[in-house]
Amino acid sequence: MRFVLVLAVAALGVWLWLVLFPSPEKVIARQFEKLAQAASVRPGEGFLPRMAGAQRVGGFFSTNVEINIDLPGLQQHDTMSRDDIVQKMMGANLAGGLKVKFPDINVTVDADKATAQADITVKARIPGEQDMMVQAMKFTLRKTGGKWLITRVQTVRTLS
Amino acid sequence: MGMIDHDPPNARPGRARPGGWLRIAVFGRNPKVTLARVVILVVTCVVVFKFVLLPIRVEGVSMLPAYNDKSVNFVNRLAYLRHEPRRGDVVGLRLGGTNVFYRAPGVMYMKRIVGLPGETVAFADGHLLINGAALDEPYEKGPCNWNFAPVTVGSNQYFVVGDNRSMPRDYHVFGKARKEQIVGKVLF
Repeated sequence: MRFVLVLAVAALGVWLWLVLFPSPEKVIARQFEKLAQAASVRPGEGFLPRMAGAQRVGGFFSTNVEINIDLPGLQQHDTMSRDDIVQKMMGANLAGGLKVKFPDINVTVDADKATAQADITVKARIPGEQDMMVQAMKFTLRKTGGKWLITRVQTVRTLS
Repeated sequence: MGMIDHDPPNARPGRARPGGWLRIAVFGRNPKVTLARVVILVVTCVVVFKFVLLPIRVEGVSMLPAYNDKSVNFVNRLAYLRHEPRRGDVVGLRLGGTNVFYRAPGVMYMKRIVGLPGETVAFADGHLLINGAALDEPYEKGPCNWNFAPVTVGSNQYFVVGDNRSMPRDYHVFGKARKEQIVGKVLF
């Protein structure tokens, strides 16, 4: 009985440790979940919450973000500022709003512990489109001021 | 000398006490055995449906008419333990990341294998050509006018495409997939 109690206390301790001091991988994965929430517009959501959501999205990106998008009908290879991203999000939210999910998030923190790569499957419903868009993407993040910020966004070709 | 009867007047041998039938129905005659059965059932379900047969819901029209939008199916992750993927197999493909067995993907592409390693695949006026010869595809029903220059499938690759070729080629995801991307074979 005492052994079981000791095991239970040890398990609780480990669980508390993991909750209070999550690994960088876990922190980044949670951050992407928050990004998906901020980028998504809920049905019936008003103008102000939509704009606030777009502003929150900007907070996940660094001041300048390298964009490498290669999709049928959309090619973009340039650098965008955080304000550009917020403006784009506002435009999308006014046009009906996105619905974004990240069903698969695989994070790898580099040896320097200051940069990380996130391989993510993006599932998004775009206004005016009937089907959900599903796309593999790679995000590069850098730890700045204690926060992981996205510095690079690129699409990944699933099939060559 | 009178006998003392502790049982209530309506208690009869071989019959459960009032309320006892509910307890038997829920917990069984031997609760410990029932608990063990429940634990085994839950563990079996978790292992089977998380690691062996992944339940999936089809979204989209790229596999019509064989697989309808919003239909339910399973991906058998053990299908290719004994043999390599074959032509005509419908498979679940991982989009990104690595194929880690304990981490099942949340989203997969569902495609049919048409080209095997080392073969040349092309489309000419809607006909799928394997090494220059047209492939008989009974699952492909709609009209198709695709044209696609020949590509050679690598040694560790498979050429995959959806069944619904009546949709525009630009909106259809197809091409060469690495073997590691194949999560498993679609069951039904």
